[in-house]
Amino acid sequence: MSYLMTTLTKKREVDTIIRDTIDKVLVLRFGRASDPVCLHLDDLLRKSSREVSKFATVALVDIDSEEIQVYVNYFDISFIPSTIFFFNAHHMKMDSGTADHTKWVGAFHKKQDFIDVVEAIYRGAMKGKLIVSCPLPSERIPKYQLLYKDV
Amino acid sequence: MATLADSFLADLDELSDNEADVIEEEDVDTGNMEEDVDGEMADIENLNYDDLDSVSKLQKTQRYVDIMQKVEDALQKGSDISNLGMVLEDDPEYQLIVDCNALSVDIENEIIIIHNFIRDKYRLKFPELESLVHHPIDYARVVKKIGNEMDLTLVDLEGLLPSAIIMVVSVTASTTSGKPLPEEILDKTIDACDRALTLDAAKKKVLDFVESRMGYIAPNLSTIVGSAVAAKLMGTAGGLVALAKMPACNVQLLGAKKKNLAGFSTATSQFRVGYIEQTEIFQSTPPSLRMRACRLLASKSTLAARVDSTRGDPSGNNGRALREEIRKKIEKWQEPPPAKQPKPLPVPDSEPKKKRGGRRLRKMKERYAITDMRKLANRMQFGVPEESSLGDGLGEGYGMLGQAGSGKLRVSIGQSKLAAKVAKKFKEKNYGSSGASSGLTSSLAFTPVQGIELSNPQAHAHQLGSGTQSTYFSETGTFSKIKRT
Repeated sequence: MSYLMTTLTKKREVDTIIRDTIDKVLVLRFGRASDPVCLHLDDLLRKSSREVSKFATVALVDIDSEEIQVYVNYFDISFIPSTIFFFNAHHMKMDSGTADHTKWVGAFHKKQDFIDVVEAIYRGAMKGKLIVSCPLPSERIPKYQLLYKDV
Repeated sequence: MATLADSFLADLDELSDNEADVIEEEDVDTGNMEEDVDGEMADIENLNYDDLDSVSKLQKTQRYVDIMQKVEDALQKGSDISNLGMVLEDDPEYQLIVDCNALSVDIENEIIIIHNFIRDKYRLKFPELESLVHHPIDYARVVKKIGNEMDLTLVDLEGLLPSAIIMVVSVTASTTSGKPLPEEILDKTIDACDRALTLDAAKKKVLDFVESRMGYIAPNLSTIVGSAVAAKLMGTAGGLVALAKMPACNVQLLGAKKKNLAGFSTATSQFRVGYIEQTEIFQSTPPSLRMRACRLLASKSTLAARVDSTRGDPSGNNGRALREEIRKKIEKWQEPPPAKQPKPLPVPDSEPKKKRGGRRLRKMKERYAITDMRKLANRMQFGVPEESSLGDGLGEGYGMLGQAGSGKLRVSIGQSKLAAKVAKKFKEKNYGSSGASSGLTSSLAFTPVQGIELSNPQAHAHQLGSGTQSTYFSETGTFSKIKRT
């Protein structure tokens, strides 16, 4: 069951899934299947999707499709893979010590890290917060340099 | 549990005796009465016998002779396919079967009595043999073989006993305290052995006859448990109708060996299984499932017996269906449990934390409880400005601490509630034991710290004076004002 993860290619599908996931964290991974880091992340997501299934849904979004470019521009996705969290159609931000709070860039070190992040988001969301702080220590957070117009 | 089985089997003996009264063709009163008497094991008259014939009368009775004759004839005739349309009760063959059942029970009792007789006589010669060889027929055979021999190496017991027991018997015989028997007693003993062996052969013949007719008498029952066991069950129950009337739990126990002989551990005894133990289905189930299989077999065979007693299904289809059901159930028990799937994690914060309680927790909480000092500092008197640590309203306020009304600035560490309870109990215990024990006890309390301490009855009144303890619900408090008139 958990070997098949829903991959979304159309804007409507993404809309539907954001709207329809009620009271659960929605994890959308933006990436492409050929990238190695992306593959690593996908593997983790696949393994943990069943365990987290009671309070989270995981879905993959392929950024190579045309319709999805809207979202790529909206969320400003420049690194592959990027993971965006939603709760009841609200975009959840997470402060993990990096500059960008709106998304999670890169893969996770371990399955447990991913589960911890999702749980933190869930707890914050249930309390009504829109931004939560990351429970992981800084060694486990992948760091990327943010490029802004090649600066 | 043993008493239940015992009482049940005693009932069975009564039952077979009753049937004997009913079915008997020629009423031999004396023979009948003596049979009843012989049925009693602990009968005083039997202890003083000297002659075998005064003990075992079964072979002499007319009933025995008649039935044996009939059985011989029937066995000679071979399998006779009687008229199935006839009602079961009217069939003369069925009548014979019922008689055979009762007779086999009687023969068994008779064999036990004869065994006692042989044992008592042979005790002079070889007392240990009775505890080594339990089965009455084996005992009789061994006694016959040994005879009056003192040296067991000359006696060949092969085939009569398992070799381990032969070894034990030979070793014990070499150190036995017995003496050779006088001639007449030896003759009587051998005679009794012969009698026992003939009875055993007769019983076998009767059972064989019943078994051969079993498929016709009770087809459903014999399909499930096999004709030999069915015959035995019917024999012990005293007829098909009697078997059908029994509840299944009794059927399970039919034929269970009741005696756990002293000296043998009961840990290895097969608990609560009777003739059912000998069925093919039971033998082929793994040992862990045997108890369940036994209960299942007993219940289904009771159902089959009930069908048979009313002749509801002469073809035996019911029995085959039940057998199939039993087989399926036993297979189902043996299949492995379904593979465990990993459970998803529970939703965070959905399960409330389990709050613990108890003395230990209360003691732990006391360390963080609000002290009297803090309580006094938190309260203020109306209209009276409080003192503060830095003076003039700055710093921490002292509240009622140090105010004129309370009486004390320095509030000592008050007794915690638990400690107060314990102290009260301790004092009660000490003052309560007045006049109960020796005269050396006194009403003075010996505390380890201060030596002899006279408790001050006014001390309780002082405790109420501090403003922190509630006076209404105080546990150590007494009357606040005692007016002496």
